[in-house]
Amino acid sequence: MASVSFKDIKKDFGKTKVLHGISLEISDGEFMVLVGPSGCGKSTLLRMLAGLEDISGGTIAIDARVVNDVDSKDRDIAMVFQSYALYPHMTVRDNMGFSLKLRKENPKLIEDRVANAARILNLQNFLERHPRELSGGQRQRVAMGRAIVRDPKVFLFDEPLSNLDAKLRVAMRAEIKALHQRLKTTTVYVTHDQVEAMTMADRIAVMNDGRIEQLGEPLELYDRPVNLFVAQFIGSPAMNVFDGIFKNNAVEALGHMWPVGASAGVNGQTVKYGVRPEHIDIGGGGIAAEVVVIEPMGAETELLLQVGGQSLTVTTHGRASYGPGDKIHISPQAQHAHLFDAASGMRI
Amino acid sequence: MKKYSKDALLVLMAIPILLWTLIPIYHIFLFAISSKDSAFSGALWPDKPTFRNFETIALQHHFYLHHFWIQIWNSLWIAVAAGVITLAVAACAAFAISRLKVKGGRTVMNLALFTYFIPAAFLAIPMYKAMGMYGLLNSRWSLVLAMVTLAAPYAIWVLKQASDKLPFELDEAARIDGATPLQIFRLVYIPLMTPSLVAIGTYALLLAWNEYLYGYLLLSHERTITLAVALGHFIAADDSPWELLMATGLVYALPPAAIYYAFRRYMVAGLTSGAVKA
Repeated sequence: MASVSFKDIKKDFGKTKVLHGISLEISDGEFMVLVGPSGCGKSTLLRMLAGLEDISGGTIAIDARVVNDVDSKDRDIAMVFQSYALYPHMTVRDNMGFSLKLRKENPKLIEDRVANAARILNLQNFLERHPRELSGGQRQRVAMGRAIVRDPKVFLFDEPLSNLDAKLRVAMRAEIKALHQRLKTTTVYVTHDQVEAMTMADRIAVMNDGRIEQLGEPLELYDRPVNLFVAQFIGSPAMNVFDGIFKNNAVEALGHMWPVGASAGVNGQTVKYGVRPEHIDIGGGGIAAEVVVIEPMGAETELLLQVGGQSLTVTTHGRASYGPGDKIHISPQAQHAHLFDAASGMRI
Repeated sequence: MKKYSKDALLVLMAIPILLWTLIPIYHIFLFAISSKDSAFSGALWPDKPTFRNFETIALQHHFYLHHFWIQIWNSLWIAVAAGVITLAVAACAAFAISRLKVKGGRTVMNLALFTYFIPAAFLAIPMYKAMGMYGLLNSRWSLVLAMVTLAAPYAIWVLKQASDKLPFELDEAARIDGATPLQIFRLVYIPLMTPSLVAIGTYALLLAWNEYLYGYLLLSHERTITLAVALGHFIAADDSPWELLMATGLVYALPPAAIYYAFRRYMVAGLTSGAVKA
């Protein structure tokens, strides 16, 4: 168990700057998720922590010990790769015990640790098999077992679920979360999937273009995104956003007035108005809209609407009795509306 | 129906090609089991097939065969040594170039491959001179070193291609697990490269086994030459013992055939694609 500290981390590959000074404190036992679109630098940051990439500037510390020039093997970390990276020629048992064997640990201790990890991950019956004889989910568990066996200070996960099918991904998500609750090992987890980030993290760092856009607890990011990027990245389906002008505590856009909760807008200011699909009510008076597409999902229904030439998504609970072409009325919930400055994209 | 006609066409093409390849081998076999008098009779099968020729070889009962066993031993020794050394050199080089990404590694490999632009026959004389300077002439090592020189560039290239296909995460996982580069080489790289290594080792071994020109130049004593060179001596005489030459040739061809047969799976998988199932 350990804390991890990034201080002004920079990374460039030749002339391309990948990270522009990242600072991030991860506390002992925390589950930190780095999330962002591909190419945002999240994996690079993780690989720098793992010691697989050189650090161009700044310092990385594990438990207050600067590890910039420490070899991967001496950082006391364990990593789970997207491709699992299991040794194909070794059995599950040898895969899991490899790191301890390299450290020349006593065979009895290796045996015990591997047995213990296998029990935690339900792999007891597969110890003598080779990776090629396992399913994707089992391989993923072996990769996790290899990490657990070492009892490291920090677990690193690099998109560990991306190679699994949707159903298995949900199951493994829960398994990793349960594992963390049980072992309480500091974890840094990289993903591009915001649902994974929201469901697993203690805190999320949303990254874009080599910078951290926002750092916070999942619901904090959801409720109060600091800028347009975070607003549109977190949440599924994505937030509706369109241009408007702030007037008398409302926003004039698409030929209608859109209500805003307590906010500090200036009359006449050009803004971006944002509202999540689940924060738009249907029915009664309000803004006229036309139904374009209906996506029933059982528990809820997604409606794709047209308002003044702009597409809007609305999620309603239960089922909808509308058809394409129907005219309906919608009213956004004022207290859940988000306002962003049109030029800078920052929250107002 | 269309499928059958296509198959038939393939078979029709295969038959002459097969005959073309097999007839000379059959010819060798025919000579080998014929007595001296009937060797040139032109019959498709000798009247009295005999294994006398093989007996003569085994007992070294002929002027040209007085050192048969030591010569085949030389061939074997040189081929195995060339195979092993080429393998060691090429595996280390491929690991350094492909996995450790040593600076300038690719340039070294390309320079090595560049030597193939010069025909091996042109290099024979300089090689002879170099071996003379090192005092290695007439030693088995001279031929071993020459063969390693000729085989290594291709071996490095093939192994590098195969190495590139191994997922790089394996090395990274091993590094995090605490393996040094040498341990990664020994415990992860070599086991996964086995098919390609077998293919390349066999390639170098057979290259050395079949070599004539360099053997002829670098080795000159009857007790140091390889069997390939010794076979060449047969036709130096006006009255060559063809039946013995063919019988010895047949014996000489057996080890490569056996090796090919044993490793045929690796030869195809290792040389054509260099693919390793990870």
